[in-house]
Amino acid sequence: MEEDFDFDAIVVGSGITGGWSAKQLTEAGLKVLMLERGPDIPHRSGYTTEMKAPWDMPFRGKGDAQLYAEQYPVQRLNRHFTEFTQDHFVNDAENPYQQGEGAFDWFRSYQLGGRSLTWGRQSYRWSDYDFGANARDGHGTDWPIRYADLAPWYDLVEDFIGVSGSLEGLPQLPDGHFQPPMALNPVESAVRERISARWPERRLMIGRTANLTQAKEGRVPCQYRSICARGCSFGAYFSTQSSTLPAAQATGNLTLVTDAVVEKVDYDPVAGRVTGVRWIDRSDMSRKSASARMVFLNAGSFNSVHLLLNSASEDQPHGLANRSGVLGQYIMDHASTLSVAALIPGFEQVTTFGNRPTGTVIARYRNMDVMDGVGHTRGYSFQGGALQSAWVRGMREPGVGADFKQGLRGPGPWRMVLVAFADCMPRASNRLTLDRANVDANGLPQLKIDFAFGAEELAALAQAKADAAEMMAHVGGQVLMGFDRPGTAGSAIHEMGGARMGHDPATSVLNRWSQAHDIPNLFVTDGAQMASSACQNPSLTYMALTARAAEHAVELLREGQL
Amino acid sequence: MEGTGWNRREFVRAAALLGTALGLPGCVTATALDPALAPTIDELALANTVADLVIPATETPGAAEADVGAFVLLALAHGLEGARDPLAAGAITAAIRPHLRADGSLDHMRWLASALPAPSPSSLAALDAAAFANQPDAQPWRLLKRLILTGYYTSQIGGSQELQYAAAPGRFDPMVPLTPETRAYSNEWNGVEFG
Repeated sequence: MEEDFDFDAIVVGSGITGGWSAKQLTEAGLKVLMLERGPDIPHRSGYTTEMKAPWDMPFRGKGDAQLYAEQYPVQRLNRHFTEFTQDHFVNDAENPYQQGEGAFDWFRSYQLGGRSLTWGRQSYRWSDYDFGANARDGHGTDWPIRYADLAPWYDLVEDFIGVSGSLEGLPQLPDGHFQPPMALNPVESAVRERISARWPERRLMIGRTANLTQAKEGRVPCQYRSICARGCSFGAYFSTQSSTLPAAQATGNLTLVTDAVVEKVDYDPVAGRVTGVRWIDRSDMSRKSASARMVFLNAGSFNSVHLLLNSASEDQPHGLANRSGVLGQYIMDHASTLSVAALIPGFEQVTTFGNRPTGTVIARYRNMDVMDGVGHTRGYSFQGGALQSAWVRGMREPGVGADFKQGLRGPGPWRMVLVAFADCMPRASNRLTLDRANVDANGLPQLKIDFAFGAEELAALAQAKADAAEMMAHVGGQVLMGFDRPGTAGSAIHEMGGARMGHDPATSVLNRWSQAHDIPNLFVTDGAQMASSACQNPSLTYMALTARAAEHAVELLREGQL
Repeated sequence: MEGTGWNRREFVRAAALLGTALGLPGCVTATALDPALAPTIDELALANTVADLVIPATETPGAAEADVGAFVLLALAHGLEGARDPLAAGAITAAIRPHLRADGSLDHMRWLASALPAPSPSSLAALDAAAFANQPDAQPWRLLKRLILTGYYTSQIGGSQELQYAAAPGRFDPMVPLTPETRAYSNEWNGVEFG
């Protein structure tokens, strides 16, 4: 192959998977260009609100509600969006998208590090209950990989990013290479014991989280502030900035360009290969391009699909790598809701110190070896934890004056919260398309999201609500509230699919190596590749798939196939 | 004009005072205030008076010393807690209706001046009791109380003198004895968000 490429590889996006692509490819000796559509946010110096107290902020951390209504009507619905973190989320007015009949809240972070700066950090392996789910119940298409294919890559990712968690021996939530777990508080410990005594298959455990409990190279253990989304100068949670980017930069093989909105992937129909990408430089709105031997798309599930659709050409009229016609289809997001909040009496003599940046999880227990789901064939798990009410309880209580003030001085009653996350079925009707009638400020067609949850998700959340109430009653709790309707689609911030992996080029976009069936030097290794959703947080799996795909790409390159 | 509404001199003084009280730097990305929403000196005084009745000085300073009134007025003007949203039709009583703006939102401070003509511990306690007994005329008090509590416990006085503030705890201790003397941490974010 001719030696006239600008780079060996171009990585589009600098978030959770883009950072991994850049690290793995540069460490293998490839010259890599990483393009990020948003601004640079340098590690440490870029975290401008990190050390501020509420009283240092004009709106005390609550933010300017009028500004949010006008400029951030979607992002403000994200619970991580505050006055401290607002600059780590997109301005909705400047980044419009279209929605079909069902609403979809699309939470986005366009900046160096992407959503790795703001993510929830929960890190779980998938199991063969998940990779085998489509084959078992016939929804979607079968995954071309199983847990054994990914297990060594999970090891590698956990070792590098640092995941703290407990070993539980559960087949549905495989153990990994963990740093020591953060502690359960006394209420959570008691609830764990009481639930396990009645339902041995239901295991409450500390959330496995990409927050360090031991130092790693250049990174300090968690300081228990739990303000991660502001950015962490200690490097105590995994982000591109704290972890993969410095590793990639240390090789000397990385070129990073920010404010570069990629609009097209170039394709050579004669060679049947992609040849590079084109982007808009936001600093002056000029058009730029670069060539490479391979392209990794890591723009985020929906934006990687957008880029493929927008890269349509005479030869690829329905979008790049879309011979199957399924590009954009089978998108998913977990159906989630607050299944229960309950008062837990009996712990009035204890409190905690420090802000633990993870909660608890009850691993999936439905539809494993016995199909015991009512109206659904997959799983749900609960995330949550036990906490004590803060001064905000005064908003719900009558009273004024010195006694009222005194009553709000200490920690309030303990309560337990369980939020269900349910598997989302892959459906062709849940899909992404380009709306060419509506363009954004860059002149690119807006993404249109059509999405609706179906009977399976509603049934799962109904069963989850009943289970949650039953568990709280069993542990001596007093149920305050519980819901079975899912939050608005998108609110789990686990949007995935649209360029699914599969065995068959006629029904899937990517092969078992996250590689386009028809275009051997095009890889899509973010959430777009997912063929099913499981019910656990997906980011760790995206990282493992990315590292695996990168090694495969390097092998192909060395064999002269790319 | 004297006696009703605000005049320009009052508006300028109040705005300056608010800015000083809040320590707003010139570059804050706050949305511009509609002049019709600009607070008056009288409203600032009323807000501080009432806030201090909710959270009086004890062994720690109260809401007036923490400038909670200024926060309440800023929050009302910028719509925190939905303060700028039009009231639902069912929430509009004969006593509330005169204080609605043209856009259907409530001028909370004008309503408060009317509902509490002589603020005192007993008159405020009566208004608060009525609000939490779901008396329709008293409902707007709930939003004001939320803003007062937010203003106090997110101030340096409320957040680090009345309560404690640990900028970087450095450890998680899952079990600490809780006694009647224990002061909560104002930055126990889970408790603030879900509590």
